[in-house]
Amino acid sequence: MNVMRRPLGLSKFRFYSTQTTRPFVPPASLNHFDFRQRQREKPRPTSPAFYTARPEFYDQLSSLESALQHAKTALTTCHLLPLPQFAREALPPRINAWVDKRELGLKLRSTLTTSRYRRVVLVLNELETYRSIAEKAGIAELQEGIRGITELFERADAATMLARGKAKPVKFDEYGRSYTLGKRKTSSARVWIVPVQQPPADKPTSQSISAATETDTALMALLDPNSSSKSNEPVSVAQILVNNTPLSTYFPIPADRTRVIHPIKLAGLLGAYNIFAIVRGGGTSGQSGALAHGIAKGLAAHEPDVATILRKAKLLRRDPRMVERKKPGLAKARKRYAWVKR
Amino acid sequence: MSTKAGLRPWLSATRCMRRSQLSVLQHRRNVFTSSDQPFSLQSPDDWQLLQDRRLRFKMLIDLFSEHGSNVTRDSTFQPHHQLHRPLAPSEATLSALIAAGAHFGHAKSLLNPNFMPYAYGVRAGITIIDLDSTLPLLRRAANLTRAVVARDGTVVFVGTRPDLRAVVRKAAERIGPQAFHVGERWLPGTLTNKLQLFGSDVTKGQRVTPDLAIFLNPLANIHAIRECAIQHIPTIGIVDSNVDPRVVMYAIPANDESPRAAELIAGVLSIAGREGKVLRDREEQSKELRQSRYMRAKERGTTRYVADSN
Repeated sequence: MNVMRRPLGLSKFRFYSTQTTRPFVPPASLNHFDFRQRQREKPRPTSPAFYTARPEFYDQLSSLESALQHAKTALTTCHLLPLPQFAREALPPRINAWVDKRELGLKLRSTLTTSRYRRVVLVLNELETYRSIAEKAGIAELQEGIRGITELFERADAATMLARGKAKPVKFDEYGRSYTLGKRKTSSARVWIVPVQQPPADKPTSQSISAATETDTALMALLDPNSSSKSNEPVSVAQILVNNTPLSTYFPIPADRTRVIHPIKLAGLLGAYNIFAIVRGGGTSGQSGALAHGIAKGLAAHEPDVATILRKAKLLRRDPRMVERKKPGLAKARKRYAWVKR
Repeated sequence: MSTKAGLRPWLSATRCMRRSQLSVLQHRRNVFTSSDQPFSLQSPDDWQLLQDRRLRFKMLIDLFSEHGSNVTRDSTFQPHHQLHRPLAPSEATLSALIAAGAHFGHAKSLLNPNFMPYAYGVRAGITIIDLDSTLPLLRRAANLTRAVVARDGTVVFVGTRPDLRAVVRKAAERIGPQAFHVGERWLPGTLTNKLQLFGSDVTKGQRVTPDLAIFLNPLANIHAIRECAIQHIPTIGIVDSNVDPRVVMYAIPANDESPRAAELIAGVLSIAGREGKVLRDREEQSKELRQSRYMRAKERGTTRYVADSN
């Protein structure tokens, strides 16, 4: 095996001769030893993949592959494989949440490299496909058999992982209030939105008045300069309270107020909902942006038709812009120091 | 999951999915029905409808097959037969080798001069391997495998390409506990550095050195062949026209790139190994019989009339 000892003229394929570092012992001297007998007394390795030096992993991979083969044969027997394209499309698209490489290595009791992990995941994905075919076709036995295998390799928090990125539905409490969270820069706003209660009419006679006369009296009341502002018809007032203060007090700058009102205005729900919010963190513009985000989400929950309009206006999107960090060699995030020729 | 059974429940799940446990439908032969008209599949009833339509179509085909050609699926060549129904060493013929494409060598320019005795000629720039020399060498290798297995030896099938993985696994399975397979990269030092790779308790307690190594792609496993040579392990290998046949002890000149040729050769060798196992079992049985006869005779005191058991 020592390359230097070979002269350069010899063909490079002739290196299979047994060059070992062990000293040569004539076979006759070994007559009193029976190596073969002693070797034969020892048991053979049990795993057929022993010479891969990772027998546990390859044995378990083989058993998974045979499970896959059995499932395939079973589905072929049931005339479900090969599945035509339109049937494949009818299957629900499944995103599999298998355990990660480290966990799988613990389960299979062997350290896994990425390529080996991918091989196992490939087999598991195919098993899952066959399981979904069996489930859809209603073959309970096969479905349970495959499930018994695949559930061993699924993440414990598979449900939460798959629900990542999906918008959770906003829940209403017993008073019909929605609770949403809005964020912008470093501010967060907790927003409760409840529809404005139409107060009951004071006069019982007003119920008997027809619609036409109602509008007439209301119009007359409006146009008459001498009539008192207190009309018969009660006016519902929508209130916006931010940190227990009215909106106008909390946001003196008109730009902030406009930003908060914008989602309600776009939806056309200006007098319809009472809003109570607790805002923390950041400055004025961040807090107003967070509030607008929370209000938009709440309104979308109360009136789903309005959600498309708000989404088009990008009000349902959490604005990802954050303050950029200062970098070394620069005065601020982007501001460079004055260039000096020398 | 602390118990061993709990750790490998998928093995038991595998067993429950064996075909025999499921109801075997009468017309199981699978025919790809391109006549499947698309329709929406919402409920399990729709899927049942799909299955029924396919079943009816296949029943129709089976019905008319009886009146059609004699050439049926069972009587013709199917690609999976080579892996699952291999030829016996006595059944291996020149036609079978040619059908598997075992006579295709590499380009003429890559011809190894030591391979010349096994080359028939050149055609279309490719060396054609002389199968008249391949067949007896294949039979010789089969005899060797049979003999090794019959004497309680261990055989290792090495095929490190993805298409050879299933071949070596099946071949090792066929022979039984005496055969092993390596379908992935051969780790250098498997034989020469066993203490490091397997640990001292495994090396001392088990028979780690195999008695025969069969290489389906020797060119990619030169280091493994070298290790076998160092450990004095006889090697059989499929040598192609760009390989020096002296690399392995028992060369089988054939196409190493074709999976079908590899399946055929590995199949022949595994059948020979299985025959060897049968011979060994028979020998064990007769040995036990002789032993029991001797013991009984010893009890009776009439050992002089019984042949000595070895």
